[in-house]
Amino acid sequence: MPRAAQRRLHVLRRPKLRQSWSKYNLYNLWRQRDPKIGNADHETFFQQKWKAKGLLRAYHGEHIKERDWERMFSRRLLSVANMNPRYMAENDGSEMAAGRGSGKDTERNWDADVVKPSVITPYMNMTFAPMERRLDIAIFRAMFASSARQARHFVVHGKVKVNGKVMNFPAYKLNPGDMFQVDPDAVLFATGAPKKKGGSNARLGITGSQKNNAEAEPAAEEEAEGAEAEGAEATAEASEEVPEQDPETTDKPEAPKADMKPTRFAIRKLTEQAKSILAKDKDVSASQKQNLRSFLKRAKPLLSKAGRSAATPADVLDELNSMVKELNLSGAPTDAAAAAANAAPAATPEAPASPSSGQAVASTRRGPPRSIEDLNEDELKALQRLIKEEEENPADPTKPYHTPWKPRDYMSPFAFIPRYLEVNQKVCSAVYLRHPVARVGSAEVPTPFGPSTNQLAFNWYLRRR
Amino acid sequence: MPPRIPTNPSASSASALVRNSFASPCTSQSLPGGRAGFSTTPIRERSTNLRRAFLEWTRKVASHYRRPNSEGPSYLINGRPSPASRNRLRPFPLNRNFQSESVLNDQARELIWGKVMRKGESLKAVSAELGVDLTRVAAVVRLKEVEKDWVSKGKKLATPYSRAVLGMLPTKSLREGVENQPLEPINELHIHAATQKQLFWPTSESRQFTREDAAKAFHPKMLSADERVPHPELIQMEKDLLRNMSPNEARTRFINAAEESERKAAQRQMKKAMAEEQATTKINTPRFEFRFREVDSELVGKNGRAPNVVGWKYGMPHYDRKKGMVKIPTSVP
Repeated sequence: MPRAAQRRLHVLRRPKLRQSWSKYNLYNLWRQRDPKIGNADHETFFQQKWKAKGLLRAYHGEHIKERDWERMFSRRLLSVANMNPRYMAENDGSEMAAGRGSGKDTERNWDADVVKPSVITPYMNMTFAPMERRLDIAIFRAMFASSARQARHFVVHGKVKVNGKVMNFPAYKLNPGDMFQVDPDAVLFATGAPKKKGGSNARLGITGSQKNNAEAEPAAEEEAEGAEAEGAEATAEASEEVPEQDPETTDKPEAPKADMKPTRFAIRKLTEQAKSILAKDKDVSASQKQNLRSFLKRAKPLLSKAGRSAATPADVLDELNSMVKELNLSGAPTDAAAAAANAAPAATPEAPASPSSGQAVASTRRGPPRSIEDLNEDELKALQRLIKEEEENPADPTKPYHTPWKPRDYMSPFAFIPRYLEVNQKVCSAVYLRHPVARVGSAEVPTPFGPSTNQLAFNWYLRRR
Repeated sequence: MPPRIPTNPSASSASALVRNSFASPCTSQSLPGGRAGFSTTPIRERSTNLRRAFLEWTRKVASHYRRPNSEGPSYLINGRPSPASRNRLRPFPLNRNFQSESVLNDQARELIWGKVMRKGESLKAVSAELGVDLTRVAAVVRLKEVEKDWVSKGKKLATPYSRAVLGMLPTKSLREGVENQPLEPINELHIHAATQKQLFWPTSESRQFTREDAAKAFHPKMLSADERVPHPELIQMEKDLLRNMSPNEARTRFINAAEESERKAAQRQMKKAMAEEQATTKINTPRFEFRFREVDSELVGKNGRAPNVVGWKYGMPHYDRKKGMVKIPTSVP
């Protein structure tokens, strides 16, 4: 038997469900049918228990040694009862003495159109509840890692704190009230889309050996898509970066030194307003985001250029205007021909001196904006929103994940947070509120099989107690 | 069959390789085990019916799950999807007893934090008003404090992650000033192990055998259910209402009682901390802070082996200093 670390986690033949967000796992979960253990009498009870335990242990902490789990297992299953304050105020409990000593029975109406089945408390689904106390599994449940193994890795590598202290034991059992924090960069790496590798067909050239064939083909598929997208982005980038290398800045050293302050002021004001005003609308198209990214990229050198003596205000504003127009903030199609030279009047120092009046005029104008002051309210807000989004989720090539960050593929069918955790995603922290419990109709332990399978597994572990 | 020359890997484009992945020749330079070194026959890519079915699934079914759904959660649906099954919140199709339950959204967390930290309302009152579990209210405030601390320190929040994850989960919003549907049951009683046994307890038929008596029957020290629930004050409020007290007055009494109970709990905690402080002598050195406590080495428990006393426990080996013993902490204060 190979060691746990060497065994492959996801397989297509004789599939096992795992605590992981892999698409193989999703596929296995999708095609999983009821195992129907114990339905026929050709299996002994031992065989049924063995099979059920195997199915469930493959999911619940497969990286944990069986001996460790056996020590963790507890036959005491926690549950809660909902107490209605109104009922408790009306009755003192003596009403339960009626009948045979457990309250009066309510007659069931068997003639009703739909007779609802009586709801059980699925105690048996709590079999693996002690596992949920483990730090690594709690991190996976809080959606800070894409698999329990990855969560374990984070803990071992010191990326996790419990109550503010680094905890490097994945087997640490959380106590009710414990707060655990995971390094946000690790979380973004675990839950984000992978970074594209240079956009080349590098991985395609290496045909996988038979061992990693399962990985290679879909990866190749994605790589190809990624490469196409990357290529498209690169060409877009290249075409946009042409105006940045403006030769005119060196061509006109003899030009009279113009007062650049108004232009700089206009640019800075725009950025500051963007920071101050909160985003309210949500309908920003992807192309608008792309445009904004390139805008911000080019706005920075422009700002520094405005400080240089060689540049004229007209040049800077010209560039700014064309950039703003490219943004196409209001979503309306812009007239490219109308982007002709226009900024000479706007570059005069008095233009930024009265920005409010300029905006009031701009709100009534028609056609493409002539300068930054010409943007109407909606356009300005849209720009500010885009700038804010860019600030929150920047494109950063130093990060080990795809930037701007986006969730990894096939994540949403795995997305749930059990009630015994309270998670604040913004700080990548969570509080373990209490141990998971069973109540009427539901159990809090996330387990892929129903009570009958869990019961057999429970019985398997009872045997050695 | 004559030996064939392997095709050049770089010649096949990415899409062609994907499309004809089952027939395309493998062009591995390193020869896998079992293959003769002189053979120039390319190995065929291993492709099974299983893989083919999987790739078929990724093309047809999985495209629905690949990117997050803009309308909210999208969980697996086995078999033929029906309108009813589409909005079912069951991440494991075979487990009918596990549901993905709503989490508080960002505004709701902010509202709870504002009520507790800004307006100074008691946790119990907030919990009862909004229908959020008492421990969750405390946790939300604690986490929100961390968030505010990060903001004040200029540390970057994982906002895009938060937005994406909350978009995939069923979320609950809370509004100020209106009656909100509760997020979860707030007055849940822990089923005590002592109450899970069956008792034969004869009493007279005329006796009013209340919850209090039942608790005493299970264990002499056990409190009745009315005192063990998280919100005993709510039961009192309902009793007041049954006694025809005006709702406003009952509410005020509830709020006062909740505050009082929290104040008492805080006092108890403080007293405990003070007692701990007084019992410890601290000596500060440049490197360590030594803390000394009085202990009684005669204290060994009933059988001389009590685990939480310092006295010699006969027959209990001390493994603490042994090499290779991993001592995973049981709590982090």
